[in-house]
Amino acid sequence: MTDPHQPLTSDAIARLLTDTDPYLSCDECFARIDEYVEHTLADPNYRDVPMDVHLAGCAVCAEEAETLTELLT
Amino acid sequence: MTIVSDVPISVPDCVHDDNWHLHLGEPHSLDPARSEGQSGPETPQRLAAQRRLHELLLKATRLQVWRLRHQLPGAGPTDLEDLAQQAADDAHLAVLRRLREFEARSRFSTWVFKFGILQAGVAVRRQAWRHREVTLSETLPLVDPDHGPASRAEGADLARAVRTALSTALTTRQRQIMIALLIDDVPIDVLAQRLGTTRNALYKNVHDARKRLREALTASGHLEALPDRRTS
Repeated sequence: MTDPHQPLTSDAIARLLTDTDPYLSCDECFARIDEYVEHTLADPNYRDVPMDVHLAGCAVCAEEAETLTELLT
Repeated sequence: MTIVSDVPISVPDCVHDDNWHLHLGEPHSLDPARSEGQSGPETPQRLAAQRRLHELLLKATRLQVWRLRHQLPGAGPTDLEDLAQQAADDAHLAVLRRLREFEARSRFSTWVFKFGILQAGVAVRRQAWRHREVTLSETLPLVDPDHGPASRAEGADLARAVRTALSTALTTRQRQIMIALLIDDVPIDVLAQRLGTTRNALYKNVHDARKRLREALTASGHLEALPDRRTS
C-alpha cells in the first residue's frame, strides 16, 4: 500500500466486506436464476439464501437478474 | 445452421402450444454421433420453433443492450442493434447446445431469456473495455470523492483497518483481484477474459478473500462475528 492512511469509500468497504456465505458459484447462479426470478415475482416473501447472497456479492449476476426481472414484469 | 430469421414461413399450430420448444430438439439434431452439417432436413415445425426461439432471444438481448448502453457512449442505434443481433445468434447456439438441461423448473421462455441476457451483457462489456487496459494494482485509489470530512473521520478507523487487512490478510493475487473487481470496477467477465480464467474462478477468489478480510477485522474488533447462514 502506498498510502496507508488514505480513506476508502464506504461503498467500496461494503463491497470488500460483503459476507458471501453460503458460497454459490456464478455458474450455479446462472443455472437457478430463471427459477429464482419467477418465484420472487410470484411471492415477494420467497427466499433462496444462497441466491440472495450471491446476488448481493456479484454485480454482474445481480445486473442479469434485474434484466430478467424487467423482462418478466 | 439455417439462418432462421431469413426463412419466411407460416407458424404451424403446434408451435403455438406450450410445448413448442420440444420441436427444437428433434433427435437427429441432438445426436452427438452426428457431426455439424449432418442434422438432417429441417421440418416446418422445427423452423417455426427456431424462429420463435430467436424472437425470444432478441427480446432479451435488445433489453440488456439497451440497459447497458451507457457503457458504450459512442454507439448509435445501429451499433446497439448489431450487438443485440449478434448476441441473440450466439445465445441461440448456446440454447440449442444446452437444451437437454432444461428441466421445466421455470417457463421455457424464462430459461431462454437468461441466455440472451448473459450473451448481451458479455458482448456489451467486452465492447466497452476492448480498448481499455486492465492493470492489476496493489494500491488503493488516492481520493475519496464522495465523502466529506465528517463522514471521513467517522469511517476512518474502519477504513484504516480494512486497508491493513488488505495488506496483511490477503495474498498478492487476492489483493489484485479484489482491487480490480471491487474498487476499480472491472467487470468480472472482462477480467476473466484478460487473465485467461473463468468468472467462477474469480468469484471464488473474491469469496475467499472477503472471508479472510472479515476474519481479520473480526479478530481486530472492527466487525462483529455474524451467525453462520449455512446452519440458520
